[in-house]
Amino acid sequence: MPLPDQIIEAPLRLLGEYEVDCVIVGGVAAAIHGSSLLTNDLDVCYSRDPPNLKRLAQALQSVNARLRNAPEGLPFILDDETLKRGLNFTFTTDIGDLDLLGEVRGLGQYDEVVAGSLTFELFGYRFPVIDIGKLIVAKRAAGRQKDLLALPELEAIQEAQAMQLGQPKS
Amino acid sequence: MRREIEDYFLNPPPGSAAARAAEFGIDLTLTLENLRLTAEERIRKLDNFIKSVEKLRKSVRIIDPSNATPRPDH
Repeated sequence: MPLPDQIIEAPLRLLGEYEVDCVIVGGVAAAIHGSSLLTNDLDVCYSRDPPNLKRLAQALQSVNARLRNAPEGLPFILDDETLKRGLNFTFTTDIGDLDLLGEVRGLGQYDEVVAGSLTFELFGYRFPVIDIGKLIVAKRAAGRQKDLLALPELEAIQEAQAMQLGQPKS
Repeated sequence: MRREIEDYFLNPPPGSAAARAAEFGIDLTLTLENLRLTAEERIRKLDNFIKSVEKLRKSVRIIDPSNATPRPDH
């Protein structure tokens, strides 16, 4: 199946349209902060409040979301109850891949991750983007080679952001 | 963007995080190029790149090393 044209933009628009409370994390957050490293899916940490799980389930249903790399025929009902019973999900959808994190290693759940985030207006919707200091903590905690490789550039961007704000590096 | 920030990436001060990143092998001119874009432009650039890589991947043909001589029509 050919890739959709807007593999990052379209899932963002979807989350905005359904008013899902989430914070952008991972490689896309790094790119928004200015990193030149590449990523090919969108990672968000979502609020696990019941009304938000309902909106999130509706959004996912609308784009035929299914578990990525799950065995064919694996029974999976995509609704708010399923989201409530799980925590972290990796989905493929008709508009691109979407990773939903109930918890970010090294940081915690939505409330901890969203605290201190910057809000960006993206494609007509407002999204919190994880603070770069927290992104660095999360990448260090994830500890995979690709996360560790991202650190030197992110630390340079963090130092530049601090200069811009006239603050010492945290 | 402030001149100070441009200088920070183009001529990283010794001991700075930018100097360490450059030493690590990061091309900070690419970082600076991204910082000159808006957040939306950064995402669109990422999308365009993903799409280009996908096109490139689909256009690749594996050539047997024994006949891998470049042809004039390619």
